[in-house]
Amino acid sequence: MLIGAIISGLMFGLYFTLVGLGLNLVFGVMRIVNLAHGDFLMLGSFAAYWLFTLFGLHPLLAAVAVLVVFVAVGLPIYYGVVPRLLVARDSEMLSIILFFGLSQVIEALAAIAFGTSERSIPGRVLGSGPVSFLGQRLPSAWVFGAAVSAVAVACVYLYLYRTRLGTLTRAVMVSREEALATGIDVHRVSAIAFGIGIALAGIAGVFAPFMLGSVTPAMGADINVAAFAVIVVGTLGNPLGTVIGGIVYGIGLMLMQTYLSSWANLLPNLLLIAVLLFRPEGLFGRAVRRA
Amino acid sequence: MLRRTLLSFAAMLSFAVQAQAQQAPAEIKIGHLHASSGPFASISMPVYTGLKIWVDETNAAGGAYVKAFDKKIPLKLISYDDQSSTATAATLYNQLITQDKVDILVADSDSVLTSVAVPIAKEHKQFLFNPTGTGAAFFIDNPWIALIADPVSTIWPKYAADYLNDEGAKAGIKTVAILYSTNDFTGTQASAVRGFIKAAGKLDIVYDQGVPTNTSNYTVLINNIAAKNPDAVLHLGYVGNDIAFLRNLQDSGQKFRFLFSIYPGIETEELLKNVGPEGMAGVFTYVTSAAYEYKPEVGWTLEQFRTAWNKANTGLNFGFNSIAGYTTGLVLQETLKGTKSLDQTALRDAVFALSGKLKTLDGPFVLDEHGGQIGEITPLGQFTAEGKEVKLDVVYPPSLANGKGVIGK
Repeated sequence: MLIGAIISGLMFGLYFTLVGLGLNLVFGVMRIVNLAHGDFLMLGSFAAYWLFTLFGLHPLLAAVAVLVVFVAVGLPIYYGVVPRLLVARDSEMLSIILFFGLSQVIEALAAIAFGTSERSIPGRVLGSGPVSFLGQRLPSAWVFGAAVSAVAVACVYLYLYRTRLGTLTRAVMVSREEALATGIDVHRVSAIAFGIGIALAGIAGVFAPFMLGSVTPAMGADINVAAFAVIVVGTLGNPLGTVIGGIVYGIGLMLMQTYLSSWANLLPNLLLIAVLLFRPEGLFGRAVRRA
Repeated sequence: MLRRTLLSFAAMLSFAVQAQAQQAPAEIKIGHLHASSGPFASISMPVYTGLKIWVDETNAAGGAYVKAFDKKIPLKLISYDDQSSTATAATLYNQLITQDKVDILVADSDSVLTSVAVPIAKEHKQFLFNPTGTGAAFFIDNPWIALIADPVSTIWPKYAADYLNDEGAKAGIKTVAILYSTNDFTGTQASAVRGFIKAAGKLDIVYDQGVPTNTSNYTVLINNIAAKNPDAVLHLGYVGNDIAFLRNLQDSGQKFRFLFSIYPGIETEELLKNVGPEGMAGVFTYVTSAAYEYKPEVGWTLEQFRTAWNKANTGLNFGFNSIAGYTTGLVLQETLKGTKSLDQTALRDAVFALSGKLKTLDGPFVLDEHGGQIGEITPLGQFTAEGKEVKLDVVYPPSLANGKGVIGK
């Protein structure tokens, strides 16, 4: 059972890397906490559900559609909200309040629009039967989720380290003021990062019906808690550290389910407390974040 | 002389009747909570909507007849949204009692959101009409509560356990795994079924674990259960848990000889949409009034209510919780018909007086001395797939069975 829990946790954790990746990118670039992250993920789930139900669109194609639409939606949200936040004295705290409000609005509107019933997409869409992996039988959806997550991490890496825009993004992550002083269009860079951030949440949402059983408009809050644990463990502001955070979270969750199942939902909180007490800079720490 | 006496008596009687009519309230306030969002929304909204359908129907007929005032009085449903939060619910229950001063208090559905209503109602000596909160602790040393639309949790799994101990043992079932969500509703059922199995002494429980109610992935848990090689698996969770469990079970490729799950029989439409007929085929479950036609003596039949539900165009799936909301309304209706006043003690007496005398589409309404529901039982059923649909037959107890259970090889 131990080996099974670790391998399952590894795959499940890779999916949670995708869940936390966008949140960490937004925090890293803008130093704002997007508490509506889980709700954008929920919207991605419903987008995939409706695209499949109405048009029979495969989740992989739905993920592409969600990527495009969510980036496009993210840009006006950024320009409408974030610049005003960033000039405030305590932008991090204000962002928590503002995005909490946005989260409530999105959930309420989604409940009105979609109803409160559970929704899901048949598992066979991502392949029938389990997949054998290192001697363990895992659902095909987990392999898809993990693979898409790996691709997303690779794309974010390439974006940050192999493109000019990525270089500018990293400059803003190091120091917004210095980036501004050197003539970088900070808002343009940040707006694109914000759009990518919520698009990553949306893509994670596309696979949520497979990874989390079903989706409802209320799922955002639980997702936020898990996503925060992932990015705090993996180092706040370091998008690539999210991989480690996701894997630690996934393996930890599966071990808890195996040996202390009644207490499994305490894991995100325990991880947060442990990291904040013993390694507040996260597992990757400041050095990597600024590299 | 006689004529004068009769005239004055008639005048006094008329005056008394008028005075009584004047004392009758302009409306009867029914206080209720519902969850339009959060994890209990999918359970709570059908109950609220079922209750609202009854209120609208009653008001369209001029209101509810109240014996105490010998007239029909319109109903006013005051229902706040607790958003599935127990903290919010606690505030709102207090508001309903102390600010809105409702005549009748109806709890939100399910045990979690009812659990905060119980001590508040008890403290204020306000009788709590409890649609579906089945936690056994609610009824201990508490004269201010009655369970209206489903049985107490300790009774729910009796037929499932009896079937396993009886037919299951004959078919070679020897070991059982129990996986449950840690909340009042399913935790109490787990405790009850554990007790039934141990008392019979025919089966061994080889896996017995609780998981948080917000658990959404069961793959590792299913693999862990399979590692114990049980013949029978009982999964006791809420609707979201059941959807995730049954989907993960399908995806994992694991099979168990006997599989029981709660919500396929309670919210069949919702489970069918999410799990599919192949995921529900062979699953044992509770048979509620949504799938078993009881002959009502009061209110609509199952089909009549289903028609009204569809006409209301609620956007919600029809299921047991829809019936629970409507049944709660019917019990209120009969309570008001029999109560001597709107005083809480009189309401309590009127509810208990209905016990054993009321039959609705939800079955016979019978309360034990603590207010626990023991009449609206939950027989054991089993699904078979029929194309894109499923069929649910009652397989136990034999007195109600309309099909024979099939235990896997």
